[in-house]
Amino acid sequence: MDHELILDNPDDNLPADKDSKPVAANPFATSSKARRIREIVFSNLLRLGAYLILLCAFYIFGDIVVKGAPVVFKTSAPFVNVDFLTKSPETLVVFETADGVKHQMGFSDYTQFKKENPTTEIVDEHTHSYSAGGIFGPLVGTALLTGICIVVAIFVGLTTAVYLNEYTSKGKFMDTIRLAIMNLAGVPSIVFGLFGLGLFCLVAPVITADVQERALFSIPIIFTDKYLSFQGWGQCMMAGGFTLAVMVLPVIITACEESLKAIPMGFREASLALGATKWQTIQKSVLPYAFPGMLTATILGITRVAGETAPIMFTAAVAHKDKLPWQLDFAEDASVLTKAAEGVPQFMSQSVQAMPYHIYTVAARIPQSEYTEPMQYGSVFVFMIVVMMFAALSVWMRIRYRKKVKW
Amino acid sequence: MSKSKSGQPQKRFQRKGFKILGLGLQDIIKYFFGGNASIAVVVLILICAFLLKEGFGFFPSYHHELKEYRKSGQEFVAYVNQEVDAHTRIYSDSNIAYYAELNRTSKTEDNILSAYRSVGSFVKASTSTRTERLERYFDRVEEISEKLEDLNKPADPAAAEATEPTAEEKAAKKELEESLADYEGRIESLKVEVSDMRKALLADASIWEHVRPGVVLNKAEKTLIREAVMHDQPGVKEKHPDIERLENEISAKKKIAAEELIGFKETVSALSKAARPLKSFQRDLKDIASENAREGKKFSTAEARYKALLEGAEKKSDPAEKAAMIAQAEAVDRVAPDYEKLTAPLIAKVEEHATLSRELAAGVTRLVATLPGDLKTESAQLNLERVRNNAEDFPKLAEKSREGMEKWEYDKSVSVLRPVWAFFFGKDWVSNSSWRDFYGLLPLFTGSLLISIIALVVAVPFALSAAVYVNQLASIREQNFVKPAIEFIEAIPSVVLGFFGILVLGTALRHLSQLEFLSWVPGFPMSERLTILNAGLLLALMAVPTIFTLAEDALNNVPGALTENSLAMGASKLQTVLHVVFPASASGIIAAVLLGFGRIIGETMVVLLVAGNKIKIPDFTEGLGVVTQPSHTMTGIIAQELGEVDQGSLHWGALFMVGLVLFFVSLTINFSAQQILKKLQKI
Repeated sequence: MDHELILDNPDDNLPADKDSKPVAANPFATSSKARRIREIVFSNLLRLGAYLILLCAFYIFGDIVVKGAPVVFKTSAPFVNVDFLTKSPETLVVFETADGVKHQMGFSDYTQFKKENPTTEIVDEHTHSYSAGGIFGPLVGTALLTGICIVVAIFVGLTTAVYLNEYTSKGKFMDTIRLAIMNLAGVPSIVFGLFGLGLFCLVAPVITADVQERALFSIPIIFTDKYLSFQGWGQCMMAGGFTLAVMVLPVIITACEESLKAIPMGFREASLALGATKWQTIQKSVLPYAFPGMLTATILGITRVAGETAPIMFTAAVAHKDKLPWQLDFAEDASVLTKAAEGVPQFMSQSVQAMPYHIYTVAARIPQSEYTEPMQYGSVFVFMIVVMMFAALSVWMRIRYRKKVKW
Repeated sequence: MSKSKSGQPQKRFQRKGFKILGLGLQDIIKYFFGGNASIAVVVLILICAFLLKEGFGFFPSYHHELKEYRKSGQEFVAYVNQEVDAHTRIYSDSNIAYYAELNRTSKTEDNILSAYRSVGSFVKASTSTRTERLERYFDRVEEISEKLEDLNKPADPAAAEATEPTAEEKAAKKELEESLADYEGRIESLKVEVSDMRKALLADASIWEHVRPGVVLNKAEKTLIREAVMHDQPGVKEKHPDIERLENEISAKKKIAAEELIGFKETVSALSKAARPLKSFQRDLKDIASENAREGKKFSTAEARYKALLEGAEKKSDPAEKAAMIAQAEAVDRVAPDYEKLTAPLIAKVEEHATLSRELAAGVTRLVATLPGDLKTESAQLNLERVRNNAEDFPKLAEKSREGMEKWEYDKSVSVLRPVWAFFFGKDWVSNSSWRDFYGLLPLFTGSLLISIIALVVAVPFALSAAVYVNQLASIREQNFVKPAIEFIEAIPSVVLGFFGILVLGTALRHLSQLEFLSWVPGFPMSERLTILNAGLLLALMAVPTIFTLAEDALNNVPGALTENSLAMGASKLQTVLHVVFPASASGIIAAVLLGFGRIIGETMVVLLVAGNKIKIPDFTEGLGVVTQPSHTMTGIIAQELGEVDQGSLHWGALFMVGLVLFFVSLTINFSAQQILKKLQKI
């Protein structure tokens, strides 16, 4: 294949006997110096490529850590900026009092300050949206969205994977379905956002007394004055969670199926041969061994979902919200039962703040200034650390699982 | 085998279970799983169904919109618009050329002055709170001095001499004097503070960021600017002498240059004047057409309004109110507008337009011929070149639009395929306009494609070299570090990358582009921070893990025998990699690149944050410099506009159509990648 290789060989240039036939070059000879240098240079170029990628990633990581960590951590006890983690975002007010002292505070503190010092003359007042307070609201919102999503996605995804791998026989139809699922894993997340808006926010069924005009159709429920109306859930936590679940479903199905496939057929055959039923087999000798793989899939799913912005932009996320999700409105004399009955739907049908959307807001939708920077870097830092921790967990679990399980 | 009393064999492996509706427990479990699987499949089918439903509703309504565009006569006016736009291009290019030539002799001075102004205004803005306070103090001091003077000079001088100032007056005076001294002290310290601040600001190299891109200053010039800005303390009225000298020099030089170029200037202003009649003609036409369009819109909603009013009337219980509402409903004008009559005034103007347009064409040809041919500035020369080319085409364009206008009919039918063509190949995406909305995919598609191509061009070499290195050359220890680390990049949320692009990469790229020794790079220096290049680079980082992982898998799947044979033949490690392993895994690598492409074309947040969001087909005449322009993308437009659109409107449909296009593009890419991988597995 590489003919020049032989021609270049220094052995070629050795004086040979005139009479003797031309001797084939020695294939075991060491290569020439030039080639060796070329080899070293080339492999170092390849190495450079690999390390440049890492350098870029580390630079981004480092930049965010260096600028974000000071916002979240403090040098004095308790070393963590508790306010930043336990307050919700609010407007930052920067002003000077007449004596030239500069103040920066959140809007609630500002009203308090004005109340306490009614005589103070305030000059040169600027406001910066979302730049004060903390990120508690968005953090809670992201946790809830991810939670709903994972519960739904695992339930549907796991059972689908079990069905596809354990119950169905091989065939063209199943292959097509598998292919479709795999292809859907690559569909852009914004398309899932469109879908979620179209289905969950605008068409999904809801039980309500007042049917809106845009409802697709509605069915009256007997014995009550309510209707099952296909008018959608509106922009809410549940719609966002379900949209994310649909998005991550292909990933979870594929990953769960992989972990089921990895279990040797012998396990199932042995169990069946002992007289166990199909379900007993699945329950006792398939699922327990597939469990670590499925857990990894779950965490992979969380990593995917928590970082997504596009699907929740129209389905669940809002930039500003006064109340935390569990602060609900009830009639004053509501009993525990009615509270529970009203609370769950009320809880699920509210819009939430979410970390990625919050970052999008502070990075692009408000005017930039030096005062917004701590909020920006602080949020990005916390968000990245949380997501990366889940990612690290999934990588670590995969490695451990690979080492441990051998059959 | 044991036998039961009855002599029949006992069914050992069978247990009798309960049955519901003929289904045993096992069946129920099976159907439970099956049911969930079908939910998954149904949801996935629903995605397609929904996108198709919302998307395809778009074409009929866009068809209606395009029909309206024709009937109202706006299409007719578009011919005139074309001519006016072409003329504007010619005029503005020659105008730019004129000013470039005019400023040629005073370019360095202009640069210094503009840099001085931008740095000065930046410094002023950064110290504004303090300078404003300083000004307040000045006011206060003035106020107090006035009061003091009043005290010193009582209204009646005669009386003043007679009466000694009372103790009260003395105290007041003393207080005023004290506060005056206090304020003066404050002013002094504040002045020092401000000047320290200015000094600190000016010492920082980052002030040059505020200078207009393209302006390059040497050290002496920078020192001069620093001094001049430092000189402009609050309260100082006169300018720094050097700046004043510069200003004088510039005006003198410009005067000389203007005298030389007087003919040029006259031509340019004549060019501008030549189009005035056509422009006012265009305004008249536009008014008529807009009025027609409004009539059309009113008619298209009239029926719905009529029905809504009737329905509302039915719900009213009070007969008087009911009658009033019905009367209101009847009053709604539901007669279709007579488009023939409405467009008649437009058609009547065809002759007038022909005259005007001929005149303008002749005028442009005549005037452009008198433009000077030998300009000394290179950019001006290039501009004039463009002017000449455009001017050459101008009569043809005018001729074409004259013909188009003569043939134009308001009731010519609009083909059914027209909206499809207008969507996929339309060059404009205009929403919420007062004239007419257009939804053309081309600017968005070009933007998406261009960004993806840049990302791939950057990502593929890096990802592949990393894959080859890790798979073939690295030691086990290195492998265990590099591989997870690169895979880890995938976990960085895209919004974080976008954020980094805005705050760090954008600024860094712009700085880099302003370095003098890089000015040969096409498109440098960049005037924008958020560009195609910026987005492309970030997306490259996102594509790297995907391509790397899959390519590494492909390299891994090359049978060991191939490698061993090659090594046994005496080939070196590198030769084996390049000539044996790489070709053997080629299809897997192609699949990896395709999947990477699929990932970046569907990415939303990075492009939404970083690509600049300007809806325009990038200007390819700049060559490679096109990457330094801002652009918009298919994913970005959905994210940006969907939040503000009414459900079911034309705009809504257009956005869903864009989503549908994205959906099919990514499906095609994924499907072909999977097909390639499948083939690979068979080998």
